[in-house]
Amino acid sequence: MNSHGTMIGFSKVIISAALLLLAGILLNPLAAIAVEQGEYIAIRKQGTGKIAIVLDRTSAKGKTESAWAQSLDAIVKDGLVFSDLFSILPPPSNIRAEGKDKAVNFSALSSVGSEVYAGGSVSKKSGKVHLDMEVYDTFGSKLLLKKSYTGSEAELRSMGHAFCADLIEMLTGKKSYFGSKIVFVSSKTGNKEIYQCDFDGQGVQQLTNFRSISLTPVFSPDGRYLAYTSYTSGRPTLYVKNLADNTIASVVKNGVSVDPGWRNTGEVATTLSFEGDQEIYLVRPDGSITRRITSSRGIDVSPTFSPDGSRMAFVSARNGLPQIFIQDMQTGAVKRLTYSGRYNTQPSWSPGGDKIAYTTWEKSGEINIFVINADGSGLKRLTSGARENESPSWSPDGSMIVFTSNRQGGKRLYVMGSNGENQRRLLQMEGEQMQPSWSLFR
Amino acid sequence: MFIPGMLLLGACCCEKDVVVAPPPPPPPPPQVELGDIFFDFDKSELRAEAVQQLQKNFDWMKQNPAGTLIIEGHCDERGTNEYNMALGERRANAAKDYMINIGADPAKMQTVSYGEERPFALGHDEAAWQQNRRAHFVGQGR
Repeated sequence: MNSHGTMIGFSKVIISAALLLLAGILLNPLAAIAVEQGEYIAIRKQGTGKIAIVLDRTSAKGKTESAWAQSLDAIVKDGLVFSDLFSILPPPSNIRAEGKDKAVNFSALSSVGSEVYAGGSVSKKSGKVHLDMEVYDTFGSKLLLKKSYTGSEAELRSMGHAFCADLIEMLTGKKSYFGSKIVFVSSKTGNKEIYQCDFDGQGVQQLTNFRSISLTPVFSPDGRYLAYTSYTSGRPTLYVKNLADNTIASVVKNGVSVDPGWRNTGEVATTLSFEGDQEIYLVRPDGSITRRITSSRGIDVSPTFSPDGSRMAFVSARNGLPQIFIQDMQTGAVKRLTYSGRYNTQPSWSPGGDKIAYTTWEKSGEINIFVINADGSGLKRLTSGARENESPSWSPDGSMIVFTSNRQGGKRLYVMGSNGENQRRLLQMEGEQMQPSWSLFR
Repeated sequence: MFIPGMLLLGACCCEKDVVVAPPPPPPPPPQVELGDIFFDFDKSELRAEAVQQLQKNFDWMKQNPAGTLIIEGHCDERGTNEYNMALGERRANAAKDYMINIGADPAKMQTVSYGEERPFALGHDEAAWQQNRRAHFVGQGR
């Protein structure tokens, strides 16, 4: 798939030279409209709720193109609905002015309360799908984004999502999760195997067929490796799979390996017990051990790192029942993070670095997801009154959390906004689903 | 300024790198189930009544000098899977350590934690949970 935006003021020579230099890496065309982007964010008041958008039907000539347009409209709409950032208004009938130029009728858009208008056309160019999209600020009648996307017919979904990602990044100033993956465990086949799906629960793929017990999958931040624990050798062992060449490395040590968490692209932390006690170690993707991080009597598990890798949150039973602690990776200094709740586990550090999500086993018997600031302030319960809610994992932009819940029977995957809003089922699939982990860049 | 996420979009949806199953393991040697010991919630300390079973295990080892003892550590379904994986190992290790103390050869014992992955009783009450907080002993070979 390819995409090009408006490059006002750039000569073709410069573009070609840049493309050559970048050896296939795309130049970001949004740079050309950075001024408008900043203006839009500035004029939009904080906390004004959802962005009212009119999504126009994509225009097309010809039967094939019309079918593409219909698919793209559904993909873009579903993508924007999933984000929970928009209220999507039906396009008014007089949205396009009469005549040849068919200009956008901004007064009609304003009258239905639209803040943003998005529309475009799809055509066939050298056998490929070619999508031209335009986004306007309805009140200022100002062009916010103009961009083309090219791909094969099989890439309609990624083209539609690329537009959603561009639109959301332009409106919010943040990268979004379109294109990201969620890895998880499912008992669909009768054994716990590892699967992945797209951010929206579509495109489920089985990644392992070990007929053993495979657990706690997690992609490295650059998407190059998948770390997981599996019983294929007869006991729980850490494996790191290189997704480029499909080679698999493992930690060859006695004892258990539990719940890996990546520190950065070059190091994954996991609990090992070959020295007797269950402690957290840093391991390289080739399975060799860098160093031991914790040293306390009792269980230390479930490492998760601040985005800069300088601090690790983890679960420790050093004071009795499991609680969450934070360790400074440089000094080794350890501070207890959670004091509310007797059984706190499964920490997940937010991509923004300020928050940690975790689960509390409450006196009522419910298990609920909480968030707390990394400094211990701002404790907030995100789930309640819905049985057991576990394994929180942040979306790459920090706007959402995927988690497991048995609120409707067996364990299934759900998503919610980062403040607990709009909790809904992520995917329909046989068996139970658990231990989801949202990738960063894939 | 680049958009790395977007670059991968096209590539991601085409990937079908399903991992091939490893070859089936060789048939296991003859096994004998030796029994269980049970634990309190979130504990890996041995109860007084565990001693009898551990002595029974040791007797089996003496009678089967070529055999090995597999010690499985298990937890009930409550609590967190990942934490329980570590707790199950502590239960298995507590049993193993006691047996070393009464004279068993550590080289002939192997521990494996199943956490809450292999419950013995499938109920969701204290009766089932108590049965699942256990170390299970399997004698292997003769």
